[in-house]
Amino acid sequence: MKHVLKLFSLLVVISALWIGLLQASIIPRSHTWLLPIYFIVSLGCYGLLMVGVGLMRFPTCPREALLLQKDIAEAKDFLKQKGVDVGSD
Amino acid sequence: MELADRAVGFLLSITSLSIFTYYTFWVIILPFVDSDNFIHNYFLPQEYAILIPVCAGVALLCLLCIFIGLVLLKSKKKKA
Repeated sequence: MKHVLKLFSLLVVISALWIGLLQASIIPRSHTWLLPIYFIVSLGCYGLLMVGVGLMRFPTCPREALLLQKDIAEAKDFLKQKGVDVGSD
Repeated sequence: MELADRAVGFLLSITSLSIFTYYTFWVIILPFVDSDNFIHNYFLPQEYAILIPVCAGVALLCLLCIFIGLVLLKSKKKKA
């Protein structure tokens, strides 16, 4: 519940800022009308960028993968000896 | 396999950066340029700057609702 309240208050603050900008008319009118859409598009772009950067820097740990494969083989042997059905090989 | 991952991540970041710069140019910089400059040939008329994100957002919402509906229907069918 608290997270929703935080988000809601953030939304209220941003809309208050936008209405204030509309009234004060520091920026030309046409720009102020386009600002919310611009921010939503840039937020989507930022999310996409973070996903792309995270994909590029994803660590693969090849040594741990090898050790894991060895552990799996060992466990399969052990269980087969004890008579448990370990499925397809 | 990490090369494929890296390539997809790189493509995604390049796409997002290009969309961001194109949209920034379109909405913020273009109104200040004279209307007979050559750069206007590369950008669609200004109404599309609002239409395209709104249409994309509406399409996304529709897809989400359809997906949720399908999942609910499938789970109901399995129970019955």
